[in-house]
Amino acid sequence: MTGTFSGLSTTRWMMLGCAIVLVALFPLVYTDPYYMTIIVTAEVVLILNISWNFVLGMAGVWNFGQLAIYALGAYGAGWLMLHQTWMPAMIAILCGGLFSAVISVLLAFPTLRLFGIYTSLLTFSFAQVVQYVALNDPRGLTGGSYGYPTVPGLFPNMSQTSYLRAYYWVFAAVIVASCLVVAWLRQSHLGIALRSIRDSPGYTAARGVNPRMTRVIAFGLSGFLAGVAGGFYLSFEQSFTTSQMGLTPMSIDVTMLVIGGLGTVMGPLIGTAIVTVIQTILIDYPGWQLTILGATLLVIVIFVPGGVVGLISRTSKRVGAWVEEDSEAVEPAET
Amino acid sequence: MTAALDVRGLVAGYDRTVVVRDLSLSVGAGKTAVVIGPNGHGKTTMLLAISGLIKPMSGTITLGDERIDGSSAESIARSGVVHIMQGDGLFADMTVEENLLMGAFVASSWRGRRETLRRVYAELPVVESKRDQKARTLSGGERRLVGLGRGMMRPARVMLIDEPSLGLAPVAIEAVYAAIAKLRAESGATVVLVEENFTHIGGVADVVHILETGSIVRSGSFNELSNDRTVVETYLGSITDVTT
Amino acid sequence: MTDIVAIIVNGLVYGSIYGLVAIGMTLIYGTLRILDMSQGSMVMIGGYVGWWALATHGVNPLLALVLAFIVTFVVGTLTELVSVQPLIGRRGEVDFEMVTFITTFAVGILLTNVALQHFGPFQKNVPPIVSGNLDVYHGVSISYHELTMAGVSVLLMGALGLFLARTRWGFAVRAVAQDLDAARSLGVPVSRLYPATMGLASALAGVGGVFLGALYFASPTAGDLPLLQALIVVVLGGLGSLTGTLYAAYLVGLMQAFCEVKIGTTWTLPILYTAILIILVIRPYGLKGSPSEARL
Repeated sequence: MTGTFSGLSTTRWMMLGCAIVLVALFPLVYTDPYYMTIIVTAEVVLILNISWNFVLGMAGVWNFGQLAIYALGAYGAGWLMLHQTWMPAMIAILCGGLFSAVISVLLAFPTLRLFGIYTSLLTFSFAQVVQYVALNDPRGLTGGSYGYPTVPGLFPNMSQTSYLRAYYWVFAAVIVASCLVVAWLRQSHLGIALRSIRDSPGYTAARGVNPRMTRVIAFGLSGFLAGVAGGFYLSFEQSFTTSQMGLTPMSIDVTMLVIGGLGTVMGPLIGTAIVTVIQTILIDYPGWQLTILGATLLVIVIFVPGGVVGLISRTSKRVGAWVEEDSEAVEPAET
Repeated sequence: MTAALDVRGLVAGYDRTVVVRDLSLSVGAGKTAVVIGPNGHGKTTMLLAISGLIKPMSGTITLGDERIDGSSAESIARSGVVHIMQGDGLFADMTVEENLLMGAFVASSWRGRRETLRRVYAELPVVESKRDQKARTLSGGERRLVGLGRGMMRPARVMLIDEPSLGLAPVAIEAVYAAIAKLRAESGATVVLVEENFTHIGGVADVVHILETGSIVRSGSFNELSNDRTVVETYLGSITDVTT
Repeated sequence: MTDIVAIIVNGLVYGSIYGLVAIGMTLIYGTLRILDMSQGSMVMIGGYVGWWALATHGVNPLLALVLAFIVTFVVGTLTELVSVQPLIGRRGEVDFEMVTFITTFAVGILLTNVALQHFGPFQKNVPPIVSGNLDVYHGVSISYHELTMAGVSVLLMGALGLFLARTRWGFAVRAVAQDLDAARSLGVPVSRLYPATMGLASALAGVGGVFLGALYFASPTAGDLPLLQALIVVVLGGLGSLTGTLYAAYLVGLMQAFCEVKIGTTWTLPILYTAILIILVIRPYGLKGSPSEARL
């Protein structure tokens, strides 16, 4: 599937270009506000998932604190938007991203000294602390359980249709950009280093790659994107509550990543799309939503660990091999 | 009770790495076969495949007239295969006595375990003297003896012993081989003993096999092989090191 | 002085219940080397069994406890068979500990939402096992229910200890925890032991759930907090160490009582979690775990 740029033929590039154009034109044709809101919200979740996939899937670090980083980005951007009104909203969001990146890097240092279950416990505990502190809101910074106060956001005075379109395009642009960046990173020195650290840490260290610094960079990059996602969410939804960080959203996001295919470029896209569709269909039955998602997660992890992307690439390899066999059989034998 | 062990065309390894290639080995009932070979060539892998701790990739392993390849380790153990593992495999946080009792875990042996324990203590007084100590506090030689003692806690049709002299001082090795001699005499089991070289095995070996790169390359009696220059030079350096 | 008595009394009560729920998690980690994220759901199920038995059917309290034990034993065994057993053969290819973290977590989600579907989102009142209060000191009282809870917890943990130290299968569980291959070579049927161990651990949490139900109501999310608390205890005590878990349970119980009396309930959990964070940074193997387990 998508991966190296050199591997993408011209046809693939053209198909990608067409897809992007179609995606861009979509909101001009479709205007139902209810579904558009769902789509735009899903876009923000997708940005978060792309960031999470980078550290979880590609770097292979079991970081369960990503939602806290996402929230911190939201709170950071929110504070700037409310108290530094001279600052354009987009800059505030980017600063929120930087704030998240810094926290993420700070988190990385103790986390990377541990491995396996301890990494997840540490990051999980970090997330819990952030969630509780945010909930109890000691200095009125986060809005506690009422949620963050309303902020002007990126597009303060637009009609609903334009509002939705504007956000749709901004988010879509960020999604496309981050997918391209991730794809490029994947086959860059950093990406190759990350993947070999994930798959054989000892060998990689022996080859002179500094595993810790490489992963710290991964934490920083994914933290930045997650923080930006948080700022985007706050901006679009005009609120942010601590429930955004809880176990339920975490399970849903993990399900999205796993269904799509952890560690792949297209995985978050496919996974987020599938789960959003399921959620939308079952919107009136929240219990069923989570039951189905829980069951799907279980089934996929056990039976299809590569997710949808893994399934597709395995199937296309098999089809390709089968096609080759066929065409060989048709060739006249040469003596 | 005792059975002959017949291994044919065994191929075994880990994940995608093949270590044992087309190995065939036959040991008559009650006989002791010693397998010598350099490290990394498959001696331990062979034993792990026989006792079922790893699944053979292909080949057959027969115990008496029963095929055991592909069976689970626990059912092979119930069939009377005792595997004394390399590096002891003792339960570090259990006492010596608890380790020995675990040796009688198999349902058929559990009931008579106290009686068996008394017998084993009689044979190995060193082990008895440490009975309430945690296994992690023992010396290498003591642990090896406990491992052998644990192997004696149930009737064995086949006993697999993996490098009993590994890492031990000469005095400890003497004690270990004395215990092995007792074990052979008492149980009459078919034994496959794996070692890295020729020292010490003269007294126990009915037949010696040389394992290199995953299969048996030469077999013969201890005397034959220890008088063969090429063999000795590869595995010992000089004829004078061979003890009988 | 009243404060001190209150802290000790409440601390011991909390400690006992933490012990009961966390000891199951430690047992599972010791033998299967996984962190069972469905333990919280077992507490939740215990709560509902308590409600069903005591509130709607007026069943004898002892019978209610036994029923909760049986139900959660079965659910725990099934959980293992569904979310752990299929992955055991593939220990080489996948990161076993982490994948099972997710699969047991998924089972937890499933169970919570099945409960939500079946019982609805509203809390249900679970009557106490024994009613009435005992005055311990000026103004400090403890309910008979809490006393029984502490007593039963201690009893069950003691029984577990005896089981492990004296019985054939207890030996087998310890053997599997200390050296899996050696245990297999001695004839221990590991594929039967794993589900049974998880069943036993879940059953302990289930019994705890009946008691907790009277204190905190039965609801689909009743298991979330106990899960988080059990994680704190298990990490503090050292993953895989039963004695460590025991000490940690009472330590955390006392810490919680202290926080509640002196600081106020809202800050207890974040403080505890910060404590875990610090522990994980300085001494990840906790009070009595082994250093080789945690660090690279």
